[in-house]
Amino acid sequence: MVMKSALRLQPYFYVLPLIVLLAFVFGYPIVRIFEFSFKMVRGVDGPWIGLRNYELVLSQGLFWESVLHNLQLLLAIPAMIAISLLVSILLYERLPGWKLYRIIVFIPFILAVPIIAVVMKRMFQFSGPVNEVLRWFSLDFMALDWIGSSNVALWTVMILIIWRESALGIILFLARLMSLDESILEAAKLDGATWRQRVWHIIIPQMRGVIEFFAVVSVITMLAAVFAYIFIMGGGRGGPGTATMVIELYIFNALIRTSLPGIAAAASVMLFLVSVLLIFPLFSARRRARAEEVGTQQ
Amino acid sequence: MTTPIDCRISRRDLILTSALAGAGAALGGARNAWAQQKGLDIWWWGEQELPGLQKFVDSSIAAYKDTTVKSMLQDTAVVISQFQTAAAAGNAPDIQYLWNGIYHMESVWLGYLKAMNGLVKDDIIKASKPTILSHFGGNIYRLGWYPLPMFWCYNKVLFEKAGLDPENPPKTWDELLTACDKLKSSGVDAIGGGIQDGYWSEWYISHSLVQNLDNFGEMVQLFIGDKDFRDPKYHEHWVKLEELKTKGFLNKDMSSLELYPGIDLVVAGKLGIGQTVGTRLPADSKATGGKIGYMVMPVFGKGKLAGMPLVDMQGLGISSNAEDPAAAAAFLEFLNSPERLKAFWDTTGWLPSNTTFDASVIADESVRTMWQKWGLAPNISNITNLVPGQWYERAAIPTGQKIVAGEISGEQAGELASDVAKEWREFNTDMVDNYRKWADDLAKM
Repeated sequence: MVMKSALRLQPYFYVLPLIVLLAFVFGYPIVRIFEFSFKMVRGVDGPWIGLRNYELVLSQGLFWESVLHNLQLLLAIPAMIAISLLVSILLYERLPGWKLYRIIVFIPFILAVPIIAVVMKRMFQFSGPVNEVLRWFSLDFMALDWIGSSNVALWTVMILIIWRESALGIILFLARLMSLDESILEAAKLDGATWRQRVWHIIIPQMRGVIEFFAVVSVITMLAAVFAYIFIMGGGRGGPGTATMVIELYIFNALIRTSLPGIAAAASVMLFLVSVLLIFPLFSARRRARAEEVGTQQ
Repeated sequence: MTTPIDCRISRRDLILTSALAGAGAALGGARNAWAQQKGLDIWWWGEQELPGLQKFVDSSIAAYKDTTVKSMLQDTAVVISQFQTAAAAGNAPDIQYLWNGIYHMESVWLGYLKAMNGLVKDDIIKASKPTILSHFGGNIYRLGWYPLPMFWCYNKVLFEKAGLDPENPPKTWDELLTACDKLKSSGVDAIGGGIQDGYWSEWYISHSLVQNLDNFGEMVQLFIGDKDFRDPKYHEHWVKLEELKTKGFLNKDMSSLELYPGIDLVVAGKLGIGQTVGTRLPADSKATGGKIGYMVMPVFGKGKLAGMPLVDMQGLGISSNAEDPAAAAAFLEFLNSPERLKAFWDTTGWLPSNTTFDASVIADESVRTMWQKWGLAPNISNITNLVPGQWYERAAIPTGQKIVAGEISGEQAGELASDVAKEWREFNTDMVDNYRKWADDLAKM
């Protein structure tokens, strides 16, 4: 009886060191963040203040403005999916020079965000190359203050995000396209299906899983991984004014610049919980994408 | 009368005492030896804004013979948090780099810093000019290390082309508007710089808001609620910025340029007037053949602090964790020795903060004059160092950016500043009392 119990527990002992390591690396900081969110922290600790940090965060206009900006960034996702789909299908069709194009479209994703953001920032300055070109074509009315105007700055950041993050979509979609059964497409061609019909009725339905996966990953990116873009393009402050402030920068400012670790922790906990909720559809989409791929290969 | 027993006990006591004393001396010696072996730790910052400082720190450590010193250059983002975290854990360095005002005062309130008075010689503290923003509760918590004179700069060539006297820059607001008008008419952008990263906005407040203050305590009162930014006196400076905007004097690309590229415009002869900082002057003066002039911001305000030269000060302090504060103080005194002050100039090309520094080594006339007019003459410190971080991020920076972009008026900027000050009080109920005590201290100085 004892022997049987020991055998049953044996696998758990094997993974125990890893579980302990993970608990230490991830679990401890998360527990501390939850703890801090209920304290008025000065230095490294402080008194318990219940839900006061949450009340303060939720009553602050800047927090909701940051949330709104994160939600606005979600508008980039349909554009990213459309661009990624179009480019990956064109590459799949092996247009003349497609190998060179493939390298070019992958480059944004290889380069670090700060590098491309700094270059973009220069390009979009009021006296920068983008506006110079527009003026040269007598399109002065389109020469906007791309990063200096509160009305435009977030959209400029969005252009940069779409440009770079679409590269990931292209990589994923192209990989999926490469695993499609070409005989179906050949058959459709022989039956007289146009390019548009092949894309709409054969390719896209088979890519549903990977598109969903990319969409969910992109949602998480827009909500919790745009800090580098915003930090560089927004002058390190989510500017001009608060026009590009997002939740990540809100947390960074609370922790580093305004010495309010408790506030930063409360906002982090809320962002963490939203991200956790998004992980379920992510796993579900990944499962579906895998199932589709296996189905195609069989 | 002493009995033999007493004598015997006495002798035993003597032996015991001797043994204990010997052990104590041995332990003490061992502790001293250990302390000497451990030496001093200094965490510093500044290479980022003053290239060559690393060389100075290294050469000072090499030249110091009393004990070993280990240095660590800190990253800009963590200068305060890294120190405070270490101090709370009892592991702070002996000597810590400290920005002025609230950037070290919070550590004072948390008990992480030792008062310098009584540790460092009074004449050295005084000569280093740590500024009044390092005073709290009758103590001084920093030693000045190097000064940052802040002023408005202008391009003398553009002034000449516009028919302005390059040796007599505008002193009043009306004179400034006239000068801007002439510069604009001559075909160049009159005034401005780059505000995209926000620092221009901060510097503008440093130069302008102070003009309507009678003392530094008044500034702190704006945050604790005793005064209000809605009062026209306290947002007149933003109204003035709005005036520059509406009259079309600001450079059009100001909102999309950062601070330093904005100053470069003045040096390059594309912008008439800008804001700058002393550390840039030697290079800018050299690049233009001495054609960069500097001035105090033209006066519009009626406060007692209006029209005074502005000098911020970077500094060093001794942490409460220092095991041998006297040794730390001795090293700081060493940094202020005449030989080290000269070494500072030689390695950084910039001025150390010490009134005894022999300025005859400065070859550039404009730099020497600036040291005399800003560093040695009566001056005031930078009021934005009194500003809580929350107000700095939520009001000081956005107000300027929004006015320059034409999105809000000066009066609306005052309302925003007032709202954020109120918000700061709600978020930092535990800090308001400290600020109030500080305001009282500053009002008396």
